[in-house]
Amino acid sequence: MADLAEVKARPPFQPADEVQQSLYAKRQKIYAREVHGLFAGLRIAAVVALLGIYYGLPWVEWGGRQAVLFDLPARKFYLFGLVLWPQDFFYLAVLLIIAAYSLFFFTALAGRLWCGYACPQTVWTEVFMWIERKIEGDRAKQMRLDKGPWTREKVLKKGSTQLAWLLLSAYTGFTFVGYFTPIQELGGRILALDLGPWETFWVIFYSLATYGNAGWMREQVCIYMCPYARFQSAMFDRDTLIISYDEGRGEPRGSRAKSADYKARGLGDCIDCTMCVQVCPTGIDIRHGLQYQCIGCAACIDVCDDVMERMEYPKGLIRYTTENAIAGKPTHVLRPRVFVYATILITLFGGLAYAVSQRVPLELDIIRDRANLYRETPEGLIENVYEVKIINMDERDHVYRLAAGGLEGVTLIAPQPELRVPAGEVYSLPIQIRLDPAHLKGVSADVTVTLASVDDPSLIRTEKTRFMGPRI
Amino acid sequence: MASIPTIQRVIAVLWPAFLVAAAATVVFFTAFDPNDLLAGRGGPEVSRLGAYTIGFFLFWMLAALSSLLTCYFQRPCEGPHPDQDEG
Repeated sequence: MADLAEVKARPPFQPADEVQQSLYAKRQKIYAREVHGLFAGLRIAAVVALLGIYYGLPWVEWGGRQAVLFDLPARKFYLFGLVLWPQDFFYLAVLLIIAAYSLFFFTALAGRLWCGYACPQTVWTEVFMWIERKIEGDRAKQMRLDKGPWTREKVLKKGSTQLAWLLLSAYTGFTFVGYFTPIQELGGRILALDLGPWETFWVIFYSLATYGNAGWMREQVCIYMCPYARFQSAMFDRDTLIISYDEGRGEPRGSRAKSADYKARGLGDCIDCTMCVQVCPTGIDIRHGLQYQCIGCAACIDVCDDVMERMEYPKGLIRYTTENAIAGKPTHVLRPRVFVYATILITLFGGLAYAVSQRVPLELDIIRDRANLYRETPEGLIENVYEVKIINMDERDHVYRLAAGGLEGVTLIAPQPELRVPAGEVYSLPIQIRLDPAHLKGVSADVTVTLASVDDPSLIRTEKTRFMGPRI
Repeated sequence: MASIPTIQRVIAVLWPAFLVAAAATVVFFTAFDPNDLLAGRGGPEVSRLGAYTIGFFLFWMLAALSSLLTCYFQRPCEGPHPDQDEG
C-alpha cells in the first residue's frame, strides 16, 4: 500500500538530484530561511488573525455565557445566539459540508490557498519556526548550532526553544479544551490544580499533538499525513492559480555577475542562487515544476522577486500564475467547475440560513405506554397513555399548554393544564388521550399532540402518534 | 513490502484509524447520550467526557484493527504451485 501511494503521489517529473524522502523516514531537518515580502506579510497577517481568533474566541461572552462553546458534558453547542442540541445535528452536518465545498471552491479557483495561509499546521509551524529563529538565530546559525558540539550555549538555546514550544503547546491544549468545557471555569480549576482526569488527559493530548506536529513533524504532516494534500490535485485544472517558475524565461540557469551580458552567454533569468530552495518550508525546488509537496506558501515568490530586484531584472520569475498562462494560452477564471462549486455552495448556504431562521427551539417526543394498549374509562371512553418529553431548547423559561387533535372528539388529560419548563431543560410527563369509541373507525387511528407556548406564539410543535382501540 | 520500515507501517495503520475514529465518535455520540447508554448498569461511574474519551479510543482501536487486517490481507498469497503463478 505504502509503495503504491508513494508511486502515485510522486510528481511526474522527478529529477535525479532530489533526495526523495521515503515515507515517514527519519527526516533531514529543513532549515527554512526567513523571508520578507508581500506574501510573507500576508501570511503573517493570516497567522496573527487566525491565532487571535483561536486563542481569543473562548473568552468572548454572549449574554452571560461563553459565546462559542461546544459543551460536550452538557451536550449543547453554543454559537453566539444559537444553541444547538444533539437533535440539531443536521445543521452541524450541513455546516461541515459547506466547509468542505468552500475548500473545493477555493482550491479550484486559487490552488492551495488553505495550505499556504490558513491551515493550522502551517499557522502553528510558522509560530514555532519564529520562536526557533528568535532563540537560535537565522538559518545559518541554526545549522551551525545543530552541527556543533553540545556546549553550554547549545544546551541553553536548545533547551529554551523546547521550553518555549512546550509552554505555547500547553496553552494551545488548554484553549482547545476550553472550547468544550467553559474556559473560565477550566482556567480556575487548572490554577487550583483541581482538573478532572479526562480534561487533564485532553489538555495533555492536544498539547503534545501541537508540540509534535508544529515542532518536529512540520512539512511531513503535509506530505505524508494530510488527506487533502493527496486529493487536492483532483480539483486542479490548467486554469487553477498555482505558484510556478517561468521555465521559458529562467532557463538555462546559471550564475553570473550583475553586470554581465547574460543573454549573450545564452543564459536565462535564473541566476541559480537556490534562494527559492532555501526558503521552502517543505524543502522542494519549485523549478522542477508543480509538485504535490508545494503547500503554496509563496515564500519562493517573495525571495525570488527580491533577487530579481537586486539583479535589476523584471520581477515574477516565480509567480502566482496558471498552467495555461505559462503556456501562453488565455486563463479562464469563470469555468464550469467554478460555477458548479459556487452553485452548490450558494444553495447549501441559503438552505442552512433558511433552516436556521425557521428553527423552533422546542422539541416534542411522544412515546406510547407499552404496558397497555388501551383501557376503557367508567364513562365508556377509550383511553391511551403516553409519555411526553418536552425539550425547551430556548435560552429562557416558557410556559406550555398541550392539546390533542387530528380526530373528532379527542381530548387530552395532563397532570396540570400549564407546564413551566425552565430554559434548556428536558421535562417528561405522562398524559392520557381519551376518545369516544363512536369516533374511532377501525382498530387504530392517528392523533396529533400540539405543544404551544403560552407566552410566545411562535413556539409551537405538533407531533403525530397512534391511538389504539379495541378490535371491533 | 519488506522494504517499508516498521514505523511506516505502524503509522499507516494508526493514522487513518485516528481520522475515522474522530468522525465515528462525533456521529455516534450525537445519536446516543452516554448517560442513557450506561444508565442502570453497574460498575464505576463514568462522566460524559469520560465516556466520549473511552468511546473514541474504542473506535480508534476498531478502526486500527480494520486497517491492520487490510495491511495483512494485502500481502500476496503464497500459492502452493509456484510454476502456475503467472503474476
